[in-house]
Amino acid sequence: MSEIKIKNVSKNFGDVVAVDDLTFSFPEGKVTCLLGPSGCGKTTLLRMIAGLEAPTKGSIYFGDRDVTGLPPRKRNIGMVFQYPVVYRGITVYRNIELPLLKKKLSEAERKQRIEEAMALLNLEDQAGKDTSELDNVSRQKVAVARAISYRPDIILFDEPMTNIDANSKIQFSHFFKALSKKLNQVIVYVTHDQTEAMTLADQIALMENGRIVQCNEPRILYNEPEDVFGGWFLGNPGMNFIEVDCRALDGKSLLTSSFLRSPVRVDNGALGQGVSIGIRPEHIQLHETATDNAVEAKVKRKFITVGGQYLYVLEIDAVGIKAKVSNPSPELLKATAVWIELSVDRMVIFDGKRQRVHAPAELLSEEN
Amino acid sequence: MNTVLQLDDVSKKYGPLQVLEDVHLSVNRNDFMVVYGLPSSGKTVLLRLLMGLEKPDLGAILLRGEDVRNMPPKGRNIGYVPQDFALYPHKTIFENIAYPLLLMKKPAAEIGQVVKRAAAMLHIEDLLKKLPTQLSGGQKQRVAVARGVVKETDIYLFDDPLAGLDFKLREQLIDDLRTLQEEMDACFLYTTSDPVESLALAERIAILHERTIREIGEPQAIYVNPRHLSTMDILGFPRANLFAGKLSRKTSQMRCETRFFSFPMVMDEKGFSGEERRKVIVAVRPENILKASEKTTGCLTAEIYLREDLGAEEILYLNIQDAGLTMVTPSSQNREYDVGDQISICMDAKSLFVFDESTGTRMGKGTGDVNV
Repeated sequence: MSEIKIKNVSKNFGDVVAVDDLTFSFPEGKVTCLLGPSGCGKTTLLRMIAGLEAPTKGSIYFGDRDVTGLPPRKRNIGMVFQYPVVYRGITVYRNIELPLLKKKLSEAERKQRIEEAMALLNLEDQAGKDTSELDNVSRQKVAVARAISYRPDIILFDEPMTNIDANSKIQFSHFFKALSKKLNQVIVYVTHDQTEAMTLADQIALMENGRIVQCNEPRILYNEPEDVFGGWFLGNPGMNFIEVDCRALDGKSLLTSSFLRSPVRVDNGALGQGVSIGIRPEHIQLHETATDNAVEAKVKRKFITVGGQYLYVLEIDAVGIKAKVSNPSPELLKATAVWIELSVDRMVIFDGKRQRVHAPAELLSEEN
Repeated sequence: MNTVLQLDDVSKKYGPLQVLEDVHLSVNRNDFMVVYGLPSSGKTVLLRLLMGLEKPDLGAILLRGEDVRNMPPKGRNIGYVPQDFALYPHKTIFENIAYPLLLMKKPAAEIGQVVKRAAAMLHIEDLLKKLPTQLSGGQKQRVAVARGVVKETDIYLFDDPLAGLDFKLREQLIDDLRTLQEEMDACFLYTTSDPVESLALAERIAILHERTIREIGEPQAIYVNPRHLSTMDILGFPRANLFAGKLSRKTSQMRCETRFFSFPMVMDEKGFSGEERRKVIVAVRPENILKASEKTTGCLTAEIYLREDLGAEEILYLNIQDAGLTMVTPSSQNREYDVGDQISICMDAKSLFVFDESTGTRMGKGTGDVNV
């Protein structure tokens, strides 16, 4: 009914290109997170969908309706902002009711919608409270309840957890997830926080320099980045990128590096220069003694990180790599040098243009 | 003289509010000491005392072995990187970094040299001719760090300089700050309220919690083997799970009992003659809450409230009856469970630490089997 279609949309602020010739569709019944660092254009895109900014070029459609020139109030959208927008001095119930009064609803239907929205967000106990008495997370829940009870075609969230403390974020996320499963609208959620996006999104549209570099389900985006940027941006720390020597041989490419015991053969003979192997820190295996497929690396330092895991900063010929290890053995903890093994199944190979190479790769054993 | 900075029994009140009480801290030349504490735990006050911007109510502060009670801030010769990194908007980056040296009336040639060296260490050589408005947040913070370290001295203080930066920038700056400290023959005293940052940076960590320093040590040592409840409670992400408990003794074996489970204990002090029913806090880190296999005994059933995906690992927020519990596991590809599902969890008694409720001192650890 109301899929959002972005067609060749650009937005310039003076010399700055915030959104760059973007074409994209936001599907119904799904949460699409616009994720990216500050300045990537995600908020500008959201504001153009809402009608708060006009595109410099291009068109925006809701379903078949061209909304490019429509003011926000004619777009039938709900929006939740960084700061919870509530009317102070009136009750939670009345806050949700006010916008509904403009709709021609029977009293019974209005009441039903309000009660439904309050139930979805667990606000029933607070219906009679003045919003001035509420904390930020409850206020933000009121703002969400008001947006959904209006039954817009599209609901936009602009970093709604920015002003919520850490403990309440867990609560807000819980309700957001429960809620989003029940809604059939297009939901667009802007955030710069990868954990928030990975946790809440059905699909993540990763943005860089005004463009969407990749859109996928969270785990696919994390495991199979199509661009070096996705590998780097997601993960804490992000992917390691190992620069490799690449030479063509019989229509295939052989990749060699001091991080590899034996070459990786890729089924593509035209990779060119600047090829790198991406591998996530948690996918590097560490051994305390030499094994068949491992190379020796110096332990530069190590420290404890999220969930008590150890992050090893390793070096071969003054080039660094990071490995994340759960429960290292006492021997590994004492080691000043370790043997590292990169499994070919975990490698993502990028060409000189930072794009993923979609070709089978295999590790050549030492015999052949 | 290896100790360059020392606080002895330092206390500080703001009106009726006791901010710091009996703080002891000594930092060596070449140390990277992180003072870690929750927001508003007095970290900035501690730095202000060292710089001479505040006077302690009680106790002594020694810099390079000398009592600085009556020394004005100017004479203390300390490099400082503030949290709020306001740069002069009309000055170039070079002039911004050089400013502390101009105040010290250094010759121009020397200033040029020192600024270039600092800029090289922080990878901002290309930015020296630009104005602050042309820089990103991370670049500005590098400039602020450079301005703090151009002063040639042996003591540098950092007041939570990465707070507010997005975490990709923090990741890069953490690496650079470590390298910077290794290159400079000096002591870094660094405050932060981020546990992951403090574990990544520190040579030693001082846990500042509830007005005083509760434990000092190497990060890995105190994380794995905390001697005080504060360390267990706040040093780590996500934070540890705490349960109220009490001790009881059956024949010679001390046991500890909580609402949900009980277990035998080994006491830290041999011959502990603990009064029966002593109130304690039992703590377990989120990575030590385990998914039970079918054969495991001593399991608890919990409902998943939220599953947070960090990429490499996931945090499960669980509810056992009305109590919340946090666990961390490596991320799995298959989504065999989701919000609202019941899962079975267990704990190894050896990962349970028991602390005295009133003092926070560790009393012992779990051993043997956990019973539910």
